[in-house]
Amino acid sequence: MDVTRRNLITILGVAPAAAAAQTQGEHAHPTPATPAKKAYVRKIFNDHQWRAVQVLSDLIIPADEHSGSATAAGVPEFIDDWLDFRDREDGNSNLSAGIIGGLAWLDLESNHLFQKDFAVAAAAQQTQILDRIAWPARATAADRRWATFFTRFRDLTVSGFFSSKMGVADLPYLGNKAVGEWKGTDPKVWAVIEERMKNGYKGLGGEVKPWTD
Amino acid sequence: MPQVKASPKSYDVIVVGSGAGGGIAAHILTLAGAKVCMLEAGGKYDTAKQSDMFKWNYDAPHRAAGTKAKPFGHYDATLVGGWQVPGEPYTQGPGSDFMWYRARMVGGRTNHYGRISLRMGPYDFKPYSRDGKGFDWPITYDDLAPYYDKAEELIGVFGSQEGLENTPDGRFQPAPAPRAHERIIKRVSDKLKIPCIPSRLAILTKPVNGRRACHYCAECGRACAVNANFASPGVHLKPALATGNLEIRTGAMCREVTVGSDGKATGVSYIDTATRKEVTVNARVVVLAASCCETARIMLNSKSTLFPNGIANSTGLVGKYIMDTVGASVNGYLPILEDLPPANDDGVGGMHMYMPWWLYKEQKAGKMPFARGYHVELGGGRNMPGAGTLGGSHNILGGGYGKGLKRDLRKMYGANVHFAGRGEMIPNDNSFCEIDPNVVDQWGIPVLRFHFKWSDDEILQAKHMQDTFKEIITAAGGRVTGASAPISRGGEIIHEVGATKMGDDPKTSVLNQWCQAWDCKNLFITDAAPFASNADKNPTLSITALGWRTSDYIADQIKKRNL
Repeated sequence: MDVTRRNLITILGVAPAAAAAQTQGEHAHPTPATPAKKAYVRKIFNDHQWRAVQVLSDLIIPADEHSGSATAAGVPEFIDDWLDFRDREDGNSNLSAGIIGGLAWLDLESNHLFQKDFAVAAAAQQTQILDRIAWPARATAADRRWATFFTRFRDLTVSGFFSSKMGVADLPYLGNKAVGEWKGTDPKVWAVIEERMKNGYKGLGGEVKPWTD
Repeated sequence: MPQVKASPKSYDVIVVGSGAGGGIAAHILTLAGAKVCMLEAGGKYDTAKQSDMFKWNYDAPHRAAGTKAKPFGHYDATLVGGWQVPGEPYTQGPGSDFMWYRARMVGGRTNHYGRISLRMGPYDFKPYSRDGKGFDWPITYDDLAPYYDKAEELIGVFGSQEGLENTPDGRFQPAPAPRAHERIIKRVSDKLKIPCIPSRLAILTKPVNGRRACHYCAECGRACAVNANFASPGVHLKPALATGNLEIRTGAMCREVTVGSDGKATGVSYIDTATRKEVTVNARVVVLAASCCETARIMLNSKSTLFPNGIANSTGLVGKYIMDTVGASVNGYLPILEDLPPANDDGVGGMHMYMPWWLYKEQKAGKMPFARGYHVELGGGRNMPGAGTLGGSHNILGGGYGKGLKRDLRKMYGANVHFAGRGEMIPNDNSFCEIDPNVVDQWGIPVLRFHFKWSDDEILQAKHMQDTFKEIITAAGGRVTGASAPISRGGEIIHEVGATKMGDDPKTSVLNQWCQAWDCKNLFITDAAPFASNADKNPTLSITALGWRTSDYIADQIKKRNL
């Protein structure tokens, strides 16, 4: 449209300059050109729980041909930080208590069944427990509260993963950049939608019948 | 009082507030040659330096999630403010639960707002005449139409010419093409006979007055570093400052309007928040644009022997009839949007399509259980992931974990849609603000106590919203996945208007048709406090048009030496 290439370069120049100015304002001491990544300091989980969080989040989001696993994307750090944040923001520790309590149950159940903590149980043993709680509608009445725990933990893992830099690239989210000309829906996208409107589509969220106007 | 520091300079006009209302007043008056002193309670704000445009959610604390201090997220442009401002409380009357959003910064709420720019229509100025509820305005659509034209051209609004009932078209820039989910929703709406048309937002799709066109990063709420959207600092105040006629004092928390023995306003007394000292500044004219409720607060706190109930309040109506917008929303999941080829869905900050109110004839015929209408704001698409992304996946998938879950989540990304209704509230006797007899803020200024109640008209309207949205989602082959509370809390939609209503009878209104106080001829109001009703059309464009009209009148009256 009216954003010429020249304008675009200026636009792109603005944000990094603003970002740099802000960064300098926030830190009193000069920062090196490539600052070393600071090690995360845990606020919620102890060493034992941390191991369980790593194992459980990687069971939920493992590495595949598109991207790495939850731990590779920093999900355990995200969850620890998020629980601490909610404790402070909500003025109660209901969420963190439910997560920590759920992790404790995983160990309790795993020790009952296999005489091992969940994090060090065999893969088949871990999935045997998860299969009871990973589908809320299928969970027995006795397991329902652990299914609720797992749903919460899964949501934390999923949103932690897909909002990370790795997850953003995996989806992929292609925005957050200057676009010279806005063209609306990509024709490739609309072609797929039109085909579905014409012939119907069986999706994860249900069946879409052919559309009539 | 030895603490009072008198400002040696005198001005033609003092403008209290720097948002949409204060901004337009300062803009028009300084260009007309008046010397203006603007008082802003908050601090300076420079979008070019302080906007968080192009930053990533994963680089922000907690993936940029909203907090009590920053309800719209870490990168939101409201640097100081929100529904709670530290040191500046407000209280509630029995049974009330009002939320009062304030932005303490130059530009106020224009920095982060949704840029939705809808003209009120002919019916909206005469609602009482149409259905016997609420109040008529002392002006008609035709009185304000030329100012809507000018306002749209100044701030830059895109849209389309539609010719729909009570939904006036404007001087629009070209509208951006719709996103995939918006095209699908339009198809469904056509079937259901609900109009779905290009939205009308104050975002440039073509350059105006040295401002660049939008670069489509979708994050207008963070403020635009290149002023491609409307906000008071870049659009109203920058040219006003260039005239040399505008002085902006920040950290100036207004206490009261001062009055002379002749009953005219002499100026304003404010607390300099840096020194906590009182400062007075004098002018021939005082314009209040502190935001609807803050303006009422200043007036109620401006007590004198001549104005024992607060300035220009002989009717006792200052603070009465506050209105917010009715809000209710529903979330849905549309399988037809699953697993699409990746594309950049960003576009402008906000919806590219919306639905204006469509049931005027049914209402006129008495076929609807509530008076007044709402419009529908759409959301969806492949948004920048942040806290909460792809949460609640078990509602669609039943549950799961592992590689299969990861694959399915990728397909689900971008399939959520959101419908928000924004409707008209009718003013009522139970919704008002007054000065709390006991509580003061950290500046020693008595605070507001709010009383707020919806009537059945609003409650039934909100139900109609949610029923309609569920119908649309179902008709699109989707699933309803969530809904807001049946109706929003007062103040939650941040459209407070009406605390100093205008009218054509000094016994039943605070202001005349020029937003001039009946009781104090050199006191004017240019924020949303003068509104006699609160149509579903978001207030900012009407604040701008009405404020422009008022400012033209002030400039003319100064020229004629009537002020």
